[in-house]
Amino acid sequence: MSKILFSLTLAATTFSAGLALAQAPDQADEIIRGRYQAILGDCAACHTAPGAKPLSGGLPLETPFGQIIPPNITPDKASGIGNWTEADFRSALKTGIGHDGKRLYPAMPYPAYTRMTDRDIGNLWSYLRTVDPVFNPVESNQLPFPFNIRLSMMGWNMLNFAPGEFRPDPSKSAEWNRGAYIVQGPGHCGTCHSPKTVLGADETSEALQGGSLQGWYAPNITGNSYIGIGSWSEDEIVQYLKTGTNGHTIASGPMAEAIQASTSLMADEDVKAIATYLKSTEGGPAQKPQPIPASDARMKVGAAIYHDTCSACHGGDGKGASQLFPALAGSSIVQQPSSETLTRLVLQGSQAVHTPQAKTTPSMPSLGWKLSDEQVAAVLTYVRNSWGNAAPSVGASDIGAQR
Amino acid sequence: METHCLKRPTRRQFLSSVAFTILAGSAAPVMARSISGSLPWEARSADPPVQVKPGGWLFFTPEEAQTMEAVADRLVPADELSLGGKDAGCVLYLDRQLVGSYGTSSRLYTKGPFMPGLATQGYQAPDTPAQRYRSGIAALNAFTRETKGGKRFAELAPADQDAVLTDLEAGKITLPNKVDAKSFFNLMLANVMEGFFADPIYGGNKDMASWKMLGFPGARYDYRDHVSKHNQPYPLPPVSIAGSMEWMTR
Ligand code: HEC
Ligand code: HEC
Ligand code: HEC
Repeated sequence: MSKILFSLTLAATTFSAGLALAQAPDQADEIIRGRYQAILGDCAACHTAPGAKPLSGGLPLETPFGQIIPPNITPDKASGIGNWTEADFRSALKTGIGHDGKRLYPAMPYPAYTRMTDRDIGNLWSYLRTVDPVFNPVESNQLPFPFNIRLSMMGWNMLNFAPGEFRPDPSKSAEWNRGAYIVQGPGHCGTCHSPKTVLGADETSEALQGGSLQGWYAPNITGNSYIGIGSWSEDEIVQYLKTGTNGHTIASGPMAEAIQASTSLMADEDVKAIATYLKSTEGGPAQKPQPIPASDARMKVGAAIYHDTCSACHGGDGKGASQLFPALAGSSIVQQPSSETLTRLVLQGSQAVHTPQAKTTPSMPSLGWKLSDEQVAAVLTYVRNSWGNAAPSVGASDIGAQR
Repeated sequence: METHCLKRPTRRQFLSSVAFTILAGSAAPVMARSISGSLPWEARSADPPVQVKPGGWLFFTPEEAQTMEAVADRLVPADELSLGGKDAGCVLYLDRQLVGSYGTSSRLYTKGPFMPGLATQGYQAPDTPAQRYRSGIAALNAFTRETKGGKRFAELAPADQDAVLTDLEAGKITLPNKVDAKSFFNLMLANVMEGFFADPIYGGNKDMASWKMLGFPGARYDYRDHVSKHNQPYPLPPVSIAGSMEWMTR
């Protein structure tokens, strides 16, 4: 296949119009399906820097071990993956071993992509060949010694990695299996939402029960009704993944990006399948703890700060204002074991997700300039333990660490 | 604080300022920007006022400060309703304003032409507030020295101070060095009131004294929970931009 015939943009429509003249329809289908795999896998989230040409290399990822820069994966021969074969690509996604036996770090989520079917990976490869080649050399490996030795990934893979395609569960519906496939495979939801072992691998026994990443906390998204999405209906999950908001919450940070570039563009039946699957999963504490009593000194200070500073938007009763200000009462984000996201929101502020259905992008102001560490801790302890919420208190030292 | 009214532009001024904008626009295209998608936003962005801390005068000389404290205490006398203007920090407030953009009129148009305006058009002369206080206080003390047995304004008995202020306000006094008595009085009155009622973060309104006196709830901006509670007092204490005693963690 010639690149000249195929210098395509991401727009499928322009693409298919031009394509009809040049290529057989079955290959066109394959490429269109491959483009959809790139959406499911959200390759652009890491491999495209803001404002840069698609897939020409991304912004540095912070890992507990150091920085890794997602490389250029356009078909450029000198600086991209133009010299790769389909077998190299398949191996990279399935085993984390790329062209010339290069061992990839799992910051590239091959531990999830390994669950993808051969057909989906084949389609994805066909699509990647059609992306505009861009010359942009990237040195991915910015890790300090000893992590910078790629061979160390051999040991890591032996300890932490179970390669293999997704196996459907015949006792479950086709929809459930489709949802499980996307969540565990191309959607790589666990890359953010599963806790990590000390070696940085997904803690598979606690899949989707919440994980820390770059100053955010990706919450528990199992069917747990205390801190998961158990109290949401399937429709509410679908609405969240399609638009970034529902009556309960408005997505921020990394999830806002995942929604904008990936889940909002997924087919309706795929998002519905994800909702069906998530609702069926279990994990996390079954019992809500006792809330910290309102008479507690931290709660009293927290109440004063809340009513003076936060209630204007989130309401005196914590119910928020649908679509504009998220509810804090009953919010699972507010009650996660980690208060990382909450601290970040109060210190830095946050702008809500932007999708065609949610264009307002309301933002939470940065309040770090006016609240001390003790005051942020008190107000967060208060919102975590009011209006029926219950969660461990927040300490001032946790706040200082995130300033 | 910048209370000067802008003069209404004439049609010609308006046309010429449009031409200017267009020229500037083509020279520097960054001035016009169309925004699509999300609104521009940055983490940690805030433009908070800086808490004024007492201690020393930055603009006033000790004698000027003493004069203004005496004025503030007559404009807002201490009584059973509240503390006086001096203790409320009105002069601290004014001192810090006069070394800032207000004092130097740095955010106002200050190039002529200077013509007498209507009362509704506000102050029209070239002097900045800092210059007006410097010359106004000197003129006031020169006036009392001359007419009140060599005493400065601060040294007069409260009743005499009231009499001088009343005459200033009525324009019955002619101050030396062409200081306009009435206009200087109005400047002091406006600024002392600002100091008394503005957020304590700016140095005045100590402990939110004026807000407590009025029952003003302070730097809040949402009353959804209270709009339907007719004829009931608002229950929450006032709060400053910088918080309140209830926020103290220990
Ligand atoms: C969470 C971020 C992330 C996502 C999502 C992601 N990648 Fe990567 N990818 C990386 C990083 C980081 C590397 C570099 C790893 C290394 O050098 O060891 C990488 C490396 C690669 C490589 C090897 C390139 C080379 O030159 O060695 C390929 C191919 C690749 N990714 C393809 C994809 C595809 C296709 C997708 C979408 C299905 C995808 N990636 C999604 C982070 C990501
Ligand atoms: C890049 C990291 C990342 C990826 C990948 C990711 N998420 Fe999230 N997700 C987050 C973060 C962070 C939040 C918290 C958002 C917030 O605070 O508003 C979140 C929130 C959510 C929520 C809302 C939970 C609640 O209680 O409000 C759902 C549902 C969710 N994610 C589902 C998914 C699914 C399904 C996938 C895979 C298709 C996925 N996420 C992939 C980071 C991620
Ligand atoms: C000016 C309005 C405003 C004020 C004041 C405000 N917030 Fe927010 N808050 C928002 C908006 C808008 C969002 C959604 C932002 C996003 O999705 O990125 C939000 C999000 C949140 C969230 C995340 C909820 C979720 O479901 O994702 C928490 C927790 C939160 N705010 C707590 C607070 C606390 C505590 C205070 C006071 C210290 C406060 N907020 C003050 C507007 C405000």
